[in-house]
Amino acid sequence: MLTMKNVSKVYQTEMVQTHALRDFDLEVKEGEFIAVTGPSGSGKTTFLNIAGMLEPFSSGQYMLDDVNVGALSDNQRADLRNQKIGFIFQGFNLIPDLNLYENVEVPLRYRGIKAAERKKRIEACLEQVGLASRAKHLPQQLSGGQQQRVAIARALAGEPRFLLADEPTGNLDSLMARQVMELLEQINRDGATIVMVTHDPELARRAPRNIQIVDGQVADLTLYQGVARQTDRAVVGG
Amino acid sequence: MFLHYIDLGWRSLRRTPTVSFLMVLAIALGIGITMTSLSVYHMMSMDPIEQKSDRLFHPQLQTMDDGNDTWSEDNLPFQLTYQDAQHLAQAPVGRYKAAMLRTGFTLHMENSDVRPFIQNARATHADFFNLFDLPFIYGSAWTQEQADDASPVVVISEALNDKLFGGRNSVGEQFFLDDTAFRVVGVVAPFTTHMKFYDVNNGAFRDHENLYIPFSLIAVMDIDTWGNSNGWKFENIRSMKDKRQSEIFWLQFWVQLDDDAAVKQYGEYLMGYMAEQQKSGRFNRENLQFGLRNVNDWLDYRNVVSEDNEVLVALSFMFLAVCLANILGLLLAKFMRRAPEVGVRRALGASKRQVFLQHIVEVSMLGLIGGLLGIALAQLGLWGVRLTQEYYSPLATMDMTMLLSAPVIAIAACVIAGMYPAWLVCRTTPATYLKTQ
Repeated sequence: MLTMKNVSKVYQTEMVQTHALRDFDLEVKEGEFIAVTGPSGSGKTTFLNIAGMLEPFSSGQYMLDDVNVGALSDNQRADLRNQKIGFIFQGFNLIPDLNLYENVEVPLRYRGIKAAERKKRIEACLEQVGLASRAKHLPQQLSGGQQQRVAIARALAGEPRFLLADEPTGNLDSLMARQVMELLEQINRDGATIVMVTHDPELARRAPRNIQIVDGQVADLTLYQGVARQTDRAVVGG
Repeated sequence: MFLHYIDLGWRSLRRTPTVSFLMVLAIALGIGITMTSLSVYHMMSMDPIEQKSDRLFHPQLQTMDDGNDTWSEDNLPFQLTYQDAQHLAQAPVGRYKAAMLRTGFTLHMENSDVRPFIQNARATHADFFNLFDLPFIYGSAWTQEQADDASPVVVISEALNDKLFGGRNSVGEQFFLDDTAFRVVGVVAPFTTHMKFYDVNNGAFRDHENLYIPFSLIAVMDIDTWGNSNGWKFENIRSMKDKRQSEIFWLQFWVQLDDDAAVKQYGEYLMGYMAEQQKSGRFNRENLQFGLRNVNDWLDYRNVVSEDNEVLVALSFMFLAVCLANILGLLLAKFMRRAPEVGVRRALGASKRQVFLQHIVEVSMLGLIGGLLGIALAQLGLWGVRLTQEYYSPLATMDMTMLLSAPVIAIAACVIAGMYPAWLVCRTTPATYLKTQ
């Protein structure tokens, strides 16, 4: 589904060149649930942004569903993002002026879906995250966990095949984090491919596949995988 | 999607009421001042007789002997002498033609219902009403016979008919102009323009006359002008007869020439006329010269819309530009503060174009609200002009064109001011703000 080959991302200022990703290789198959870990500044978020086409990469090749992302225009990337990718952010990123219904509606409007169909999908998604009764509430009237569930509903509303989550439980207490994780697992079982960046080893262990990014590259996990085989558990970086 | 953008724009304006109010106030002030000066300018510079302004011509004759100057830009006298006006009125060329001058009388009635009052009048030929498309409400212009006989007949304006006769058909009624009894032969509809384009000598925006009398009465009643008289050489003028036979310029003249051939033919006639006059000792000059300008050229030539007015309009647009600069600053601050939300929208599939349009719709709404408020301020400004500048009173008004232009100008101005902030915010890299929200 997602293939990155030798993808590099260089942030260039007048004085300094920063290599956020270097020769980054990764293949994500349909239906996978991958936890991405790594130390701060290792390039996890840059990888996620490039995967979500939120920022361009400097070199290499990125194919999403056999589409060469590097060859797309900005508008084509926006379309593809809208069609195939759902985002869940650590800070929820709900639009404060819009109520829950309207927040979930945002990606559907950009996709040009008709009002009746939008309504059906929004109600179903809010139902799925347990917030149907709060559709008219504003985000600030909800707890952090509830807001993240709205963000998940918004990500799901477009029926994406690919869900990118950037520390989705980072701002939540452990109980809410567990609930959100269970929701993600359910979504994955329903068929969506999920790539989740996290600092939380416990959450990472719950993902069937882990990758670690160190210095802008996927770290060699051979050693860790060996340990994992012995302990039947995946070992991840902090 | 457009309605959705309007909804978003409205929410955005409500979200920051103080900034929104400041922006609306800025655009309203800019539009108010611009529309005040622009409305006056528009009324001043509009074509006063659109349907035939290119077919009505004011001739000028260079009657001055060589070596004499007048103050016009081409050294041609603005007005005609009586004798030239008389001759041109009888010329075999030109569809309609009328010589004219502004004069006035004390008007009084036989009964004491209406107190005597001074009334401006225009002595002219009967073609005047055809030339300027003035329809008759009652009666008609005087006949050729009445003109030839210098009969004391008069055409009055609708306003005067209302004042003297309560608006009824007054044809056949009489009143006195000074000591002469005049009989009403017609009541004419008012001019549709505030501009007295046919006689700009004493201000192009004075009221039109309410009385029209036959030109032939000038000689019979020794009528003098209430307008300008200009001479270029010493002449011993002891009577009105002397003035009529003099080289003094004191009459206006208009002729309708329907096509280029007629214009050419009329020019040839004028040259022939001047050559003929040379034989009788007039036009002592080497080169004969005439002027023939249509209405709009004539108004340009006479500087009816002075440069001062144009400068005023330019200044008011500069003020609008200053307002827009302020709006631009406020929009920049407001839009860039919203960059994180734009980042989310971009992440959720909004294209740059959609984000740009969303913000342009919002600034257009600002423009619309500011424009409507600006119209109210402009009305206030025009009221002030009417109150303090009597001469401009008829012009200090907004016609439908200006009323419709105000919001269009306001929206266009706001869109121009909002382009850069909208472009800047739509270029936001979504990823930049998603982490920092």
